[in-house]
Amino acid sequence: MSGRPVYSIGAVAQMLGIPPATLRTWEERYGLLAPERSSGGHRVYSRDQVEQPRFVKAQLDSGMSPADAHRLLAERVAAGSVSLGAPEAAETRLLILLAERDPHAAGLAEYFLRTEGYEVVAALDAAEAARKFDELIPSMIVIDLLISPGSGLELCRQLKQRSGALVLAISTLETSDQALEAGADGFLQKPLDPLQLVSAVKDLLGASAFLRPSSARPQ
Amino acid sequence: MTEQPDSSGRVASGNPRLDAILGGGFPAHGINLVVGPPGSGKTVLAQQYVFHNATPDRPAAYLTTVSEPLEKVLRYGQTMAFFDASAVGRAVFYEDVGGLLGTEGLAAVLERVDTLLKERRPAIMVVDSFKALTPYATDQGGFRRFLHSLAGQLSAFPVTSLWIGEYDSSELSTAPEFAVADAIISLSSDRVGQRELRVLEVLKLRGSGFLSGRHAYRLSEAGMDVFPRLADPIDATAYPLGTERVSSGIPALDAMLDDGYWPGAATLVAGPTGSGKTLMGLHFIVSGARRGEPGIIATLQENPTQLQNIAQGFGWSLTEDGIALLCRSPVDLYIDQWVYELLAAIERTDARRVLIDSLGDLAFAAGEETRYREYLYSLVQRCARLGVSLLMTFELPDLFQVTRLSELGVSHVSDNVVLLQYLRQPAAIRRTLTVVKTRASLHQPQVREFTITPDGITLRDEDPTDSPLDRDC
Repeated sequence: MSGRPVYSIGAVAQMLGIPPATLRTWEERYGLLAPERSSGGHRVYSRDQVEQPRFVKAQLDSGMSPADAHRLLAERVAAGSVSLGAPEAAETRLLILLAERDPHAAGLAEYFLRTEGYEVVAALDAAEAARKFDELIPSMIVIDLLISPGSGLELCRQLKQRSGALVLAISTLETSDQALEAGADGFLQKPLDPLQLVSAVKDLLGASAFLRPSSARPQ
Repeated sequence: MTEQPDSSGRVASGNPRLDAILGGGFPAHGINLVVGPPGSGKTVLAQQYVFHNATPDRPAAYLTTVSEPLEKVLRYGQTMAFFDASAVGRAVFYEDVGGLLGTEGLAAVLERVDTLLKERRPAIMVVDSFKALTPYATDQGGFRRFLHSLAGQLSAFPVTSLWIGEYDSSELSTAPEFAVADAIISLSSDRVGQRELRVLEVLKLRGSGFLSGRHAYRLSEAGMDVFPRLADPIDATAYPLGTERVSSGIPALDAMLDDGYWPGAATLVAGPTGSGKTLMGLHFIVSGARRGEPGIIATLQENPTQLQNIAQGFGWSLTEDGIALLCRSPVDLYIDQWVYELLAAIERTDARRVLIDSLGDLAFAAGEETRYREYLYSLVQRCARLGVSLLMTFELPDLFQVTRLSELGVSHVSDNVVLLQYLRQPAAIRRTLTVVKTRASLHQPQVREFTITPDGITLRDEDPTDSPLDRDC
């Protein structure tokens, strides 16, 4: 699960506070932080691959040079351990808008996210999702790309352009490329594994949750 | 244990041959229907999957309904080798929903499944028996609505479902669960003579190919073992041919064969009872073993003691010569099980020569002519590609004056055919040998008289057709 590519370079940059250009430079210069590419050529990072630049950044923050930080990373990779641990979810309860056409899938996803302490509001079609987004200003929106047939990608694109919202795209079809092009921060293929869903949400909200605590909607 | 579906999206059973039939296993996250009459092994198959795949992180939920009491499932389940009692309650969760059904109906089952998906988060869910749910719907529409909801619940979660039911063939086109299922496996039996042969057939499998046809299987305490029907399509790819001729083990016969057979060739030795077919096979195997070419005697005729006794009569020791024996009874023979044992023995011993004694037993066990033809063709082709030289015996019904060489196309698939015959004399019967066919090779077509001596088969120099003996015949 932790090896499956999920996150766009923009999402990783936001999670770690590292500019996308720096991530690309590190990848080209040191060859260690090389994410997978989608069929359309987009960089897509797995959880493991997010840990590596996080590790490098921690070394830089402690005063190490980029070259030394990458050398140390290479040693840790060879030893099989680079984890610094994912950031914990914010204490405040964050609101997630779930735009999901399938009531069974929506029910399960809502349950699993709630058990992790998130507030969840579900919308079963794109129009309702857009309305609830404007009304509730959630910390993140999970969009089923097949919602209101043909509207999922457009909803994703609109919300990103309009508000820069965090978007996790999901679909039964393997359409990660289209999702990333539409601005999604991550993509998961359905049916959703509960742990995978929760991990992706935690990862994407990790850094931004600290940056945007005011967007949270305590119950 | 296999924790997750493989990259092809299949959930393996732990039995590679069963998985080969299914193109890797049951479709992961799919709804798989296992149908068959009582006692056909549906529950065994389901539990085999469950115990092979379930882990505490990716557990299995096994729901019994009203036709299969949970106590019985557990009682008989624990007699199976794969059943791990320590996994029950940790990785495998059995639950009887029969009571719920009786008091609250199908809606309660949906509710229970929803709870299980949320709380147990199972990777596998079995419903045993699914068909037993049908009467709990007030009408056909009610059952379809239940089915739609259940399929929706299961499709929204990464769970692989196995629904078990005692359906008959007439229900295939009418029961709505067959339309919902991603895979349908039928367990049944074929009647061959006085016996029943268990057969597994894939009726439907979404998303990939599978091995079609009816595949024999057996049930034992190890679980279900399946033997994919040996029916290889024509393979046009080239394979290496050896250049060094393979001795028959009888020097005079080698001379008639232009210095032996081609390696990897299939040779049919046909003749009436007692004419020396098995002995000719022993010559072939023993001489090969003594040249460092491992051999297998696959016999359906003699037991190991009888075979050793025959060999010792000619000064051969099968054990000392490092020859592998595959002795099986023709009684209740599953030809596909037998052939997989033979192919495994070839691989294990790196055999270069194989004696099959006799084809008649395989033909009888096959039960059906077309099946036997495709089976034999496939066996011969596999051995040829492996470079394994085959010698197959076939008993002819007529003691004298052969009218037909072989039945069921056996001679057609053979590269070489050697015919053994009796010649009748007023006071004695003599034996003759004729090379009838050698593919891609020359041979001497004479009819040669031979005798069986303590040294084995010994060909006489003269042509018996020129001798007074034959003029008398």
